Amino acid sequence: MKPVVIAGYARSPFHFARKGELARVRPDDLAAQVVAGLIERSKVDPADLEDLIVGCAFPEGEQGFNVARLIGFLAHLPITVAATTVNRFCGSSMQSIHMAAGAIQLDAGEVFICAGVESMSRVPMTGFNPMPNPHLAAEFPAAYMSMGETAENVANRYQVSREQQQAMAVESHAKAVAAQAAGKFKDEIVAITGPKTGTVSTDGCIRPDTSQETLSGLKPAFDANGTVTAGTSSPLTDGASAVLVCTEEYAKRHGLDILARLKAIAVAGCDPDVMGMGPAVATRKILRRTGLSIDDIGVVEINEAFASQGLACIRELGIDPDRVNLDGGALALGHPLGATGARITGKAASLLRREGKRYALATQCIGGGQGIATILEAA
Amino acid sequence: MAANKNTRQGAAPATIRKAAVIGAGVMGAGIAAHIANAGIPVILLDIVPPPGKSGALNTPNRSAIAEGAVQKLLKTEPAAFMHPKNAGLVTTGNLEDDLGLLGDCDWIVEAVLEDLAVKRALYAKLDGVRKPGSIVSSNTSTIPLALLTEGLPKRFAEDFLVTHFFNPPRYMRLLEIVVGAATRHDAVETMAAFCERVLGKGVVRCNDTPGFIANRIGTFWIQKGTNAAMDLGLTVEEADAVMGRPFGIPKTGIFGLVDLVGLDLMPHVSRSLQATLAATDAYQAIFRAPELFARLITEGYTGRKGKGGFYRLNREAGKRKEAIDLVTGIYRPVVKPELASLAEARHAGQMLAHPDKGGAYARQVMGETLAYAASLVPEIAADIVSVDQAMKLGYAWKQGPFELIDAIGVDAFIAGLEAAGVPVPPLLRAAAGRSFYRIESGRLEYLTTEGSYAPVVRAPGVLLLEDVKRRSEPLAKNASASLWDIGDGIACLEFHSKMNSIDDQIIAMVGKAIGIVGKGMKGLVVYNEGSNFSVGANIGLALFAANIALWPNVEEMVAAGQKAYKALKYTPFPVVAAPSGMALGGGCEICLHADAIQAHAETYIGLVETGVGLIPGWGGCKEMLLRATANPKRPKGPMPPVAQVFETVSVAKVAKSAADAKELLFLRPDDGITMNRDHLLADAKAKALSLAEGYQPPEPVVLRLPGPTAVAGLNLAVHDYVKQGKATAHDSVVAGELAVVLSGGDTDMLDELTEDQILALERAAFMRLVKTGATLARIEHTLETGKPLRN
Repeated sequence: MKPVVIAGYARSPFHFARKGELARVRPDDLAAQVVAGLIERSKVDPADLEDLIVGCAFPEGEQGFNVARLIGFLAHLPITVAATTVNRFCGSSMQSIHMAAGAIQLDAGEVFICAGVESMSRVPMTGFNPMPNPHLAAEFPAAYMSMGETAENVANRYQVSREQQQAMAVESHAKAVAAQAAGKFKDEIVAITGPKTGTVSTDGCIRPDTSQETLSGLKPAFDANGTVTAGTSSPLTDGASAVLVCTEEYAKRHGLDILARLKAIAVAGCDPDVMGMGPAVATRKILRRTGLSIDDIGVVEINEAFASQGLACIRELGIDPDRVNLDGGALALGHPLGATGARITGKAASLLRREGKRYALATQCIGGGQGIATILEAA
Repeated sequence: MAANKNTRQGAAPATIRKAAVIGAGVMGAGIAAHIANAGIPVILLDIVPPPGKSGALNTPNRSAIAEGAVQKLLKTEPAAFMHPKNAGLVTTGNLEDDLGLLGDCDWIVEAVLEDLAVKRALYAKLDGVRKPGSIVSSNTSTIPLALLTEGLPKRFAEDFLVTHFFNPPRYMRLLEIVVGAATRHDAVETMAAFCERVLGKGVVRCNDTPGFIANRIGTFWIQKGTNAAMDLGLTVEEADAVMGRPFGIPKTGIFGLVDLVGLDLMPHVSRSLQATLAATDAYQAIFRAPELFARLITEGYTGRKGKGGFYRLNREAGKRKEAIDLVTGIYRPVVKPELASLAEARHAGQMLAHPDKGGAYARQVMGETLAYAASLVPEIAADIVSVDQAMKLGYAWKQGPFELIDAIGVDAFIAGLEAAGVPVPPLLRAAAGRSFYRIESGRLEYLTTEGSYAPVVRAPGVLLLEDVKRRSEPLAKNASASLWDIGDGIACLEFHSKMNSIDDQIIAMVGKAIGIVGKGMKGLVVYNEGSNFSVGANIGLALFAANIALWPNVEEMVAAGQKAYKALKYTPFPVVAAPSGMALGGGCEICLHADAIQAHAETYIGLVETGVGLIPGWGGCKEMLLRATANPKRPKGPMPPVAQVFETVSVAKVAKSAADAKELLFLRPDDGITMNRDHLLADAKAKALSLAEGYQPPEPVVLRLPGPTAVAGLNLAVHDYVKQGKATAHDSVVAGELAVVLSGGDTDMLDELTEDQILALERAAFMRLVKTGATLARIEHTLETGKPLRN
C-alpha cells in the first residue's frame, strides 16, 4: 500500500441558504475560488494534478453539466487536469477523497484535488425535477423518505429526547463560537468574492445566543408530535470545501505540508428510514478493517446532520463526547451537502495535528441509508 | 436666471409622475403605499428622530421614522401594499437632509400632526423647495383649508387643496377633495383625474366645512348610536344588529365600527367638531362623553388595535367573544340579539316602523341622522349625490342617506320625523311627494337644491352596467345571468345569482352568449357589479345530486361546465373577463378561459375547490398547467410547472390583489389591471375592442406531462405535510387526486395530451372525490357555516 496523505484543506465560509451572504454566488464560482485558494496555500504545482474530483448531492442547474470540469476552468487549472463530479449525497466529497486514494493505489495519479460544493440556495434539495419511481415509492417508501422524518425515526428508536438534542445543538454552537473567536477557522477559510456579494470571509450560520431556552421555543419541524426542530437540524447551507490528496512520497518530494495520512476508508448501507445511523455501521466496519478500537481514536468528526442521529451514533459507538467535533459541527456551522465530507475530513486531519493525537475518524450519514467513514493517522 | 417670485412658473402638471408624502404616520405611510400601488414613485419624509425618544439616541439613522414606517407597512394586515415589491417605489428620508428630493415631485401631500402651526411652518419649507406649479395638498380631516393657507404666498394657495383619504388608504375608496377660493382650476382637475383614474379613488368634492362630508355625518351617527343604545337600554349586539343588515350597513354597526377605527380617536374628532361647528349645529346638542368610554380608553381598551373595545376576544377564556355591558361596564360573553324587529323587519322602512326597542333605536339613530344629512346640503356639498357617494365609499353603506330615504319613502320618512317631533329640513320638505332620485328616459337623475332634477353625471371614462341596464333591455336573460349590449359591438355577460355562484343557468347563458355574440358582434366581456365577481360553483346543487347518488347528474354538471368554458375559449371573437372582489373556483375558471383578463386591482382570485374536498373540474387544472408551462421564468424540466400549479391549487391559494394574481399565474403578464372599480367595464370593453381587430381564436395546445413519477413526487411532499400537522388525512386524498390530474394521469413523458384528455382526468378525479364521505362532509359543512371543515 502506498501511503496517501492529506496535504492541504480549505473551505469557503458557510452561510444560510437563501438569506445568507453566499446565496447569490453561483456554486461553480464558489467552488472554483476554494480550489484556487487551496492550490495557492498548499503550494502544489497544478500541472501535477491528475484529477479534480468534486462531490455534489444535486448536480443539476448551476451545479449541472460536469460541474467539476467547469470548476477546473474557472479555477484556471491546466487544461490537462481531468475532472469528474461524484454523487453520494452527503458523502459526496468524502467519496471524492476515497476515489483519489483508490486511484493512487493503482498508480493512476499522484496528486488529486478532492472537493465538494452545494448551493442549497440555488439548487433546491431534491432538485428541480424530483421524479421518483412510482412503484418503488409505493412498495418501499423509505427509499424516498424525507431526511427530517428519518431524524424523527432515529430519535424515537434510539430514545434521544428533545432536551438531549438541544443540548448537543447548544454545545455545537458554543464550540463554534469559541473556535471562531480564537481565530481557529482563519487558516481553513478562503474568502469568497462575488459580483453581488462583495467579499465574504467569515461563517454565517453560527448563532452565539443559542441556548436550551431559545431552542425550546421552536415548533417541531417535521412531525407535529415529534422532537426534531429547525434548531436541532443542520441548516440549509451554501458552501464549498477542498482537500489536497497525494502520495506521501510526492508531498515530501515537493515540501508540502502533510496534515495526516489516510489509514482506512469504508462505506456501508443501513435502513433508509434511519439513515442517520449510517456512521455507526460504517464506523464499525472501518474499525474492524483496521483492528482499532473506538478508544484508539483521539479526534472524531461526525457530521451533525441532525442532533438526534449524531447523538445516537455517538452512544451506539461508545465515543467519548469530549473527542467529538472540537470546533463545532454542522448544527452550528451548516451542512452544504456535497461539501461536508471534504470539510470534516480536512478538519479531522488538521485537528489531529493540532491536538497531537494518533488517529482521527471522520464519518457521516447519507440519505437513502448509508454511512461513510475515513480513519486518518498522524503523519 | 432667477425666477421672479411673483410670476407663475409653469402650469399644473398634466398628471402625476412622481409624488411625495410628508409625515410617515399611519395615514401618510398608507397613502405612500397606495401611490406606490399605482406604480408611481413616491418620496416619504418624516422628522429626524428627536433625541431622547425611545431608541432615537441609539440610531444614527436620521431617516429611521420613515424607514420604520415602510417596514411596518410591509407587515400590516390587511396588506397596505398590493405587492411587497411596491415598497421599492417608496424612497424614504427626513425633513432636514432630504428636502431636495421634493424638487421634481409633481404632487406633495402633507399628512403630519393636526396642528395648524406645524402645518403652516412645513408649507413655508415646502414652498422653498418644490418645483413651480407642483401641487400641494393636505390630508387634514379637521382644519379648514382657508386657515391652512392663511399668510402663505398667493402662488402657494393657488397650488393648494385638501385631499382627505380614509384609513386604510388602499382599501377605503373615498377621497374627499376640498378646493380653496384661490386654488387653480387645472390643479384641481389634475388631482381629481389622477386620484380617480390612477389611484382608483371615488373622488367627492366637498365644501370647506368641518369634518367635510363623511365624518360630519358619520360622527353624528355614531354619537347618536351610542347615546340611544344607552338611553333605550339596548345591548351593543342589539344596537349593531339593528343598524347593520336592515339599513345595508356593514355588520359592525356602530360599536363594532368604533372598535375598528379606535375608541381613542373619537374624542379627538368630537373635540374638533365641537370647536369648529356652529353652536346651533345639531351635533352640539347630542354630544356626550360617557365615563365608560373614557375608562376603556385609559385602560387600553382602544378597540381592535388595543386589548379590545366594546367587543373583545377573551383569550384566557379560550378565545371567547365578549361584549361590554353598557350599564355595568363589565365584559360578558356575546349574546345573539333576539329582538322581534330583527326577526320581522326586512328593510329600513319596516325597521323604522317597528314598535319594539329595536325600532325605537332605529328611529332615534337613523331617523335623526338622515334628517341631519338632509339639513347639510348645500352647506357641506353642492348636491345630494356627493353626500350619498361619500357615505357609501367612506362608511361602506350600501345606500347613501338620500337613497335610504328614497327606499323608505320620502313621505313616510317625513311622517316619521314629524311623529317623533324632529324638525324636517327644507330639502327633505322639498322632496315631499317625490323622491330624491328618479329614472327619466333610462337616465338616473337627482333632486337639486333648487328643487328640480338634474342628471347624475359619471366621471369621464366611467361605464357602469347599472346605467346600461337602466336604459336598455337585455339581449338575453335567465334567473342567474343576463347578456347586455354595452355598445360598439361588445356584449357583457352578467351574473346575478346569489353571491354570483355559478349554476346551470349561468352555464346555459354562456352558451347562449356565444351564439348571440357570434352573430355579428365583435366581442364579449364577462363582468358584473356584485361585491364579488363570483364565489364559485353552486356546490349546493352538486351536494343535492350527490345525496341521492345521482352520480350521472353530477358528472353531467362537470361536463357541461367544461364544455361551456372550452367553447368560450375557442369562440371566433375575443372574450375578456373583468373580475373584481372574489373570483373563486368556477368564477376563477371562467376567467382562465378568457382571451384576456382585465382585473380590478382589488381582485381576490383563486382555485379553492380543495377546501370543499374537490379539485377544479371546469378546466381550471388544465388552464393553470398551460399557464405554468408557458411561463418563461420557470426552471426547466418536466416538474416545475406541475409543482407550481400543485402548490397553488392544493392549498387553495387566493391572490391578495391583482398584482399578486400575476405572480400566482391566474393573470398572464399582459393582462390589465384597473385601479378604479368604476372604470373596469370601460377598460375591459376597450381591451375586447383592441383584440377584435383581426382576431384569431387560440390554437389548441398539447402538453407533455410527467405522469406517475410526478404523482409519486408530489405525494412525498404531501406525506411530509401530513406528518408536520399541516395537512389532514382527507387533504392528502384530495391532493393525491389533484396530483393525478396535474401529472397527466398514466401518461408517459414522451406522450402528448390534448386539452380534452386533461379535462377527462379532471372529471374522473372530481367524480372519485365527490363520492367520498369526507368530501361530502366538507361541502355540507361549508354550505351550513360558510367555513371550511378540516377533516
